[in-house]
Amino acid sequence: MQISKVMSLSSSTASASANLSHRLIEIITSDDTSTRDLSLDDICQSMTGSQLLDACNALDDFRRSSKNLYHRVRALFFLFAIHRFHLPTHLAGRECGSIPFEGFEHLLQRRFFEAIREFLAAQAITGPSIAISSALATAYHRLAFQTLADQVRKSVRTVRGNQWMFRTGHPADLPLRIRKELLTTDDSGAYPVLRERTSVRMDFSHSGWSDIFFLGMDFPEGARVINASIDLAVRGKHGQPQPPIDCGLRIIDQPVLRLVSIDLDAAADITSLAEVYDFGRDYLGLLKAAVIASGLIPPGMEGCEAGIESVLSQLVGPGLGLEIVSRVNDIPKGSRLAVSTNLLGSLISVCMRATGQVSQLTGPLREEDRRIVAARAILGEWIGGSGGGWQDSGGVWPGIKLIEGSKATENDPEFGISRGRLLPKHHVYSDQEITPETRQRLQESLVLVHGGMAQNVGPILEMVTEKYFLRSPAEWEARQQAIVILSSISEALKAGDLRRVGQLTNENFAGPLQRIIPWCSNRYTESLIEQCRSKYSDRFWGFWMLGGMAGGGMGFIFDPACKAEASEFLQEAMLKTKRELEQSLPFAMDPVVYDFTINDKGTCSELEPASSLPKGYFELVIPALLRQDIQMLSPQRRAELERVGRMSRNDSTSGTSASANGGDLQNSGAEFARRLLDRILPAPAKKSESVNSLDQLLHENGFDPIQHEQLREDLLSGRLGLAQNRLATSSTIEDVTPEDYVDSRQPIESRWIEQAKQSIASGEVGVLTLAAGVGSRWTQGAGVVKALHPFCKLSGRHRTFLDLHLAKSRSVGMQFGCFPTHIISTGYMTDSPIRAQLDRINYAGTKVVSRGMSVGLRMIPTLRDLRYAWEEMPQQVLDEQQEKVRQSGRAALQNWAKSTGQAADYRDNLPMQCMHPVGHWYEVPSLLRNGTLGRLLKEQPQLKTLLLHNIDTLGASIDPQVLALHLRRQACLSFEVIARRIEDRGGGLARVNGLPRLVEGLAMPSEAEEFKLSYYNSMTTWIDIDQLLDVFGLTRDNLDQQELVDNSIRQLARRMPTYITLKDVKKRWGNGQEDVFPVTQFEKLWGDMSALPEVECQFIVVPTLRGQQLKEQAQLDGWMRDGSAAAIEQLCSWE
Amino acid sequence: MHISKAIITAAGKSQAHLPLQSVVNRSGDVCTALETLLNDVTSAGIEEIAIIIRPGSANEYRTAAGRHAERLSFFEQDNPRGYGDAILRAKRFAGDQYFLHLVSDHLYVSRTEKSCAAQLIEVATREQCSVSAVQPTRENQLASFGAVGGSPVALKSGLYQVTEVIEKPTPTIAEQHLIVAGQRAGHYLCLFGMHVLSPAIFELLEKNIAQLPDGQLASLSDSLNRLAHTQRYLASELDGVRYNIGEKYGLLIAQMAIALSGGDRDRVLTELLELVAKN
Repeated sequence: MQISKVMSLSSSTASASANLSHRLIEIITSDDTSTRDLSLDDICQSMTGSQLLDACNALDDFRRSSKNLYHRVRALFFLFAIHRFHLPTHLAGRECGSIPFEGFEHLLQRRFFEAIREFLAAQAITGPSIAISSALATAYHRLAFQTLADQVRKSVRTVRGNQWMFRTGHPADLPLRIRKELLTTDDSGAYPVLRERTSVRMDFSHSGWSDIFFLGMDFPEGARVINASIDLAVRGKHGQPQPPIDCGLRIIDQPVLRLVSIDLDAAADITSLAEVYDFGRDYLGLLKAAVIASGLIPPGMEGCEAGIESVLSQLVGPGLGLEIVSRVNDIPKGSRLAVSTNLLGSLISVCMRATGQVSQLTGPLREEDRRIVAARAILGEWIGGSGGGWQDSGGVWPGIKLIEGSKATENDPEFGISRGRLLPKHHVYSDQEITPETRQRLQESLVLVHGGMAQNVGPILEMVTEKYFLRSPAEWEARQQAIVILSSISEALKAGDLRRVGQLTNENFAGPLQRIIPWCSNRYTESLIEQCRSKYSDRFWGFWMLGGMAGGGMGFIFDPACKAEASEFLQEAMLKTKRELEQSLPFAMDPVVYDFTINDKGTCSELEPASSLPKGYFELVIPALLRQDIQMLSPQRRAELERVGRMSRNDSTSGTSASANGGDLQNSGAEFARRLLDRILPAPAKKSESVNSLDQLLHENGFDPIQHEQLREDLLSGRLGLAQNRLATSSTIEDVTPEDYVDSRQPIESRWIEQAKQSIASGEVGVLTLAAGVGSRWTQGAGVVKALHPFCKLSGRHRTFLDLHLAKSRSVGMQFGCFPTHIISTGYMTDSPIRAQLDRINYAGTKVVSRGMSVGLRMIPTLRDLRYAWEEMPQQVLDEQQEKVRQSGRAALQNWAKSTGQAADYRDNLPMQCMHPVGHWYEVPSLLRNGTLGRLLKEQPQLKTLLLHNIDTLGASIDPQVLALHLRRQACLSFEVIARRIEDRGGGLARVNGLPRLVEGLAMPSEAEEFKLSYYNSMTTWIDIDQLLDVFGLTRDNLDQQELVDNSIRQLARRMPTYITLKDVKKRWGNGQEDVFPVTQFEKLWGDMSALPEVECQFIVVPTLRGQQLKEQAQLDGWMRDGSAAAIEQLCSWE
Repeated sequence: MHISKAIITAAGKSQAHLPLQSVVNRSGDVCTALETLLNDVTSAGIEEIAIIIRPGSANEYRTAAGRHAERLSFFEQDNPRGYGDAILRAKRFAGDQYFLHLVSDHLYVSRTEKSCAAQLIEVATREQCSVSAVQPTRENQLASFGAVGGSPVALKSGLYQVTEVIEKPTPTIAEQHLIVAGQRAGHYLCLFGMHVLSPAIFELLEKNIAQLPDGQLASLSDSLNRLAHTQRYLASELDGVRYNIGEKYGLLIAQMAIALSGGDRDRVLTELLELVAKN
């Protein structure tokens, strides 16, 4: 085998190698915790490359043969970590390798076994390389998570009480019947409403995210959470805290399933079974998941061709249907209070009560019933394609409780598969353990807030899982500490010492939580903590992180004497800090402070009169009813309209019963009538500010309406589109050969290095940081300025991308005695925030902002492009249920595109979200058009070279070694490329029809072509200013002739290809809700300059550390762990 | 243990007229459903039979009982409080003896020469304890029956130690409490409508009724559940099938089953096939 050629072993080292491999497997299989908890990193540090490869072979054999699921998973994580973090350090000089496209395709299709087989076969033929290791690491990582997810899914299905639902495949098989109490009508023939009110959960500590199923099931001893069920009220808006989740279920006199989500303003009459399983088509996915998970229409019935009326006939009675209503009272996404899981729990509970699946029709649930409701909520989350931890149904339980993992015993379906059970055990603290006084004091000292940020916690949970299985020493120690802190919190609660609780939650956040996952904190949160500490000193008892990460739901504990004042203070401080940071961090809403009380009943139900539906129900449904012919309405609906009419006329008798039960009609008739009127009749049309400001902004930012119309025409006619981005299929794409590039790691004559140093020292080199784009992938289209995102703590503080790039220039300045001029190119969205931030950064050299002079208006995508993107372009298939949800969402998006108008202007969002930057190619011409370069050259005539780089290429710096190569060749443009790893997708360095150039991923004639390429385009470019001006037909002397500049740019622009892309854009609505829409925009890209025959180009291979880009926040942890962060910090000099 | 008495409940609202329906028995003779039931019971050695009826219906039953009329004692259930209360009305009749109990809206078709009642009495006599007949039933039928949970008795096929009895459980509850080793997935041991019970059941029924809120009906299952916790109580699969004649088409299906299990099976089958072919 080739591997043995590369790293041959002597016989003595062979036995050492076998011992080490054996040791790794022993760690996995040992029952002794002192062995099982050993760290992979510690052992790998002392291993050679050959030993690591041998260990990989042994681990791979082991994971194939082991029958124990968690052993297999741990072996997979070991393999991932060795290929991702340990082997690459032994593979210097072996960066490039051919990643087989077939393997990549298997990876996308989730055929992980096959993918691994392909990659290993490639490794056997070509020898180990960083490229192949990157592919193997990805495949092992995904297989590990897939194995875990499959296991949880299987466990959920096999929980007793859930199994039958997967066997019930036809309405005739449905064993459930609605309880008689719900079929008993009142004098007017109306059916009663079963109302379920549920609190949410607030966790004191989760012992380092130990409520992740995978952790709880492998390490039940360490899976411990304390949480409390709480009722909420938004301070200053609501009255007394109430259970924030309110659901209702009733029989209706039509054979349909009517689902109503009041807070999401959505209602639908479902008339087919297929629609029940279609989650993405509307906002009712969670209600549908509850209907399925509660067994009303069980999961086994998916695909059954019977009508929904036959199910309802069996379940409720012939000609009858069911209506299920939900309402969440003002808790937006990101609250970290597990709202969606508890809503699911509440809906499932009411459905199970209605069908006798739990013993209590009304009142609180019994413990065994709560457990089955929690199991169904987990099932519902899986069905709905989301996920939560096992503590998340906490609102279903009463009071404050300790939730612990429990070991699987012989009678459990998990026995023999995992050490722990899927469902934890709950110990509800009695009043003797935590006194009512302590509970009261907790309410009097804790300020509970929603900071306004709504972030996806998913990547954090993946990181936690990975670190747990690897037992990385620092993180494992932190986990032990978090477990101890939880016990101390429990003791402090029992002792009634709230100050101590505050100290402990604060210690937990500042210590173990951030040691395990540094990304659970952010600058916003830390700023708030600092402000509280500074103002309240020792009367501020501590910070309390809720759920998976800080920034959304959070707690601040104060001396009760100052809680009221502190609440006011925090409200203002959060708003002010949010205003300062809202361009940098993804905020979904303005922050709010909550009042809360501990709910001592848990989820609770009552049978109420017909009119008692959750608040807002009638306002939502009545307008639609009024649009129908009253004769066409069912008798129940007609009676309802009459009731609402009486109430609106302030007929006090009609609303009395509802009022007593807290129903919708609880308010005065006049108040109710006003709300209803607001819904029925539109408010006076305001002059549309957003439309005006969008047009104004377009005008101000160089929008070209003629080009825009041409683009629309081209899109509609099919001249432009995703398919047309590609080079002709007749183009030959080949990998480059060594004569096509130079390697910066090879020695170079010292005179060139000296010349480079001299050039830097004499101010001939400047930096151009491209920051016009917002970095859609970084925050999934949230529209914040990536350059200003305080993404990582370096030298003890959160630093932004901009801070970091300037810190590198500062370091260069200090080293060479001349601070390079640093230009930041901006766009319509990033310009003013970057200017404001740049003013605050102390930099001894010249710092200049170059504002982009071109902007585009986003368009509704064409169906052709949507289909092309989703059906033709390779993409990661999601986990089974998530994929189903995605497909259903895509069908809805296609309908949206069709009904809104293909290639129509996208204007239904904030103006900034409707516009788009037009690609980084324009950022260099903008330097010419806006006069920045002209001015600079006048002020600094010595300036000859610019180092252009992307905002996310953190390693890009003025390195004399690389500059020397640029100067030696005297090229116009020297592009830096790096060895391609599997995650580096989007083009690379290729010979196109025999000539080396950079090719964008969008332009590849086929996806497979990209996998032939060894080098990826880092976008970092050394520019010879004079030669570049020459390409534009300009000189230093005529840069002030605006018309000439404009014409020359226009001429060159015509020669640059235009790419059509689909970008995800978030549209925020309601209370922190977000929808993501794919929109069409066009781009011209800088790399295509390499295709111009008159441009003298050079391609320089640089180390990965220098050229790698951070595109997604999920990359951060690996970036930190593989030493990249530390290496880049070495290049920086902080203020 | 000598079991000589049987209690048949027939006072339920929907039950009252079911035993009076005419059926054709295995020999091809027309008789009432009640008479068919009584034939089985008496062939199992029962000498005295109590029937719990709605007030004023004794004569109809006596007539329907045919040649067994003399063995019958009638107990009228006034102010009815459910199935459990109906059985309790025959407490004096049972005395301190084990007794056989059947419901009147079922017909039982044995697959052997021995009637289902005889099979059950034989098991109870052998085991010297209360025994309920059970039949594995698919989960979609759970809404119609009481079901038992427990474990198989070692080396005794079809016999189970009962640990729990739940009336008309949902499959959610059944899966959590009533799984019995050896049963097919989705199948539970549901009550057959035939029991041999110890006199201790009366005390449990009395306690149960005393605890019930006004207006709530007493089931037998609750008391059987308590019985399972207080003394040895078994469930036995019999070599036979029960048919609920109170269900839609229940009587028709029961009739066909009886006919197909009798001596004229071939003839009945031929007629049925002709009927099918003509339609």
